[in-house]
Amino acid sequence: MTKKEKRRQVEKNWLEWVVFGVGLALVAGTLGYLIYDGATADGVPPSIEVKLGEPRPTGHNFIVPVTVTNHGDQTAEGVTVEVTLGGGAGEPERGEFAVAFLPRRATREGWVAFRTDPRGKSLTPRVLGYEKP
Amino acid sequence: MRTVTESLREYARGVAGGLLFSLPLLYTMEVWWAGFTSHPWRLAAYVAATFALLLGYNYYLGLRRDTGFGEVVIDSVEEMGLGLLVAFLILWLLGRVTLDQPTTEIVGKTTVEAMTVAIGVSVGTSQLGAEGVGEDDKGVGDEGGPHFGGQVVIALCGAVLFAANVAPTEEIVMIAVEVSAWRLLGLVLLSLALSALILYYSEFAGSKKFVRFDARHDVLVGTVITYAVALLASAAILAFFGRFDGQALATCVAQTVVLGVAATLGASAGRLLLQ
Repeated sequence: MTKKEKRRQVEKNWLEWVVFGVGLALVAGTLGYLIYDGATADGVPPSIEVKLGEPRPTGHNFIVPVTVTNHGDQTAEGVTVEVTLGGGAGEPERGEFAVAFLPRRATREGWVAFRTDPRGKSLTPRVLGYEKP
Repeated sequence: MRTVTESLREYARGVAGGLLFSLPLLYTMEVWWAGFTSHPWRLAAYVAATFALLLGYNYYLGLRRDTGFGEVVIDSVEEMGLGLLVAFLILWLLGRVTLDQPTTEIVGKTTVEAMTVAIGVSVGTSQLGAEGVGEDDKGVGDEGGPHFGGQVVIALCGAVLFAANVAPTEEIVMIAVEVSAWRLLGLVLLSLALSALILYYSEFAGSKKFVRFDARHDVLVGTVITYAVALLASAAILAFFGRFDGQALATCVAQTVVLGVAATLGASAGRLLLQ
C-alpha cells in the first residue's frame, strides 16, 4: 500500500515544473479569455468605419490611403470599399478595393488610385457591402 | 526523477511531433479564418474537447505509464501549453499573427492551430522516443493490446490528427455538394475496405499484437467500430469548423462521409502506429 502510494507521487524536476506552470497559465488564460470574450460579445453586426489618409502622387497616378475598421462583434467577409472623387467636371471618378476578411474590431489598410489629382477636392468613402462568413 | 537533459529531450521530441502533424494546418488559410469567424465559446469547447482527448491519450499511452491520474493531467496541461506556444510562434513567423491585431484575432488563430499541435506534441512525446516503455501498462488487457476504451481513444486520436488536415478546406464541401449518391456509397465501401485491410489483412506493423483475430466476427466488429469512430471524429471536426451551419442534412452527411475516408485511414493506422 505504502509502496504504491510512493510511486503515485508526482516526481518532477524544476524545468518540468516551469513548463507546467507556463502551460497552466497559457491554457487557463486562453480559456478564460475565450469565455469572457464570448460572454461580452453581444453579436452586433459588422459596423465598418472608413478613414482616408493624405493623397499622394506616385508618378503614374494618385493614391489615397484608406483605413477600414470593423467596430462590430462579427467578422465581415469581402468588404468592398468605394471612394468617389467629386468636384470635377462630368462623371465623378471612382476608386475601389476589397478586403477579403475584416475580423471584429480589426483594422485593415489599402489604397485607392485616381487619374486626376484628388488634393483639394472632395473625397467621399463608402462601404458597398459585405458577406457573413 | 528525470534529469533536466532528459526532460529537454522529451520536450524536443514533443515539439518535433507537434510540428510534424500540424504544419499542414498551420499553412492552411481556412484554419486562420476559423480563428476569427468562430464564436469564442465554440473555440472554448474545442479546447475542452481536445483536452479530454489528450487526457485519454496520455492515460492509455503516455510515456509515463506508471503514474497516477494527477500526472496525466499535468502532462496534458504541459502539452497544451507547448501547443499554444509553438502555434503562436509559427503563426507569428508566417506573419499570420501580428501584435497590432486585436486580441480576439490573435487568441482565435493561435487556439485553433494549437489544438492539433498539442495532440501532435502528445503523440510525438510518447512515440518518437527510443527508450523502452514501462512494463505495467495500465491500458493493456490480457490479450496484449489495450482494451476497448483505450482502442477507441487511440483510434479517435489518429482520426482527428489525420482528418483535421483536410477538414477545414473548401474542397470537402465542394466534393460533398457535387458528388452523386452512388459515389458516396462507394466512398463508404472504400473506407470500410481500407479499415479492414489496414487492421487485419496487410500485416501492418503492430497488427498482430494490438488487434484480435480470433474469429471472422472480430474482423467485422473491429472494422465497423473503427469506421464509426472515424465518422464521429469527422462530424465533430466539421461541426467545429462551422461546415454544418446552414447546410441541408444531406450535405452534412455527404461531408462526413467524404471526410470519413481520411478519418478512417487515421483511425485504423493510428490504432496500430500510435501504440
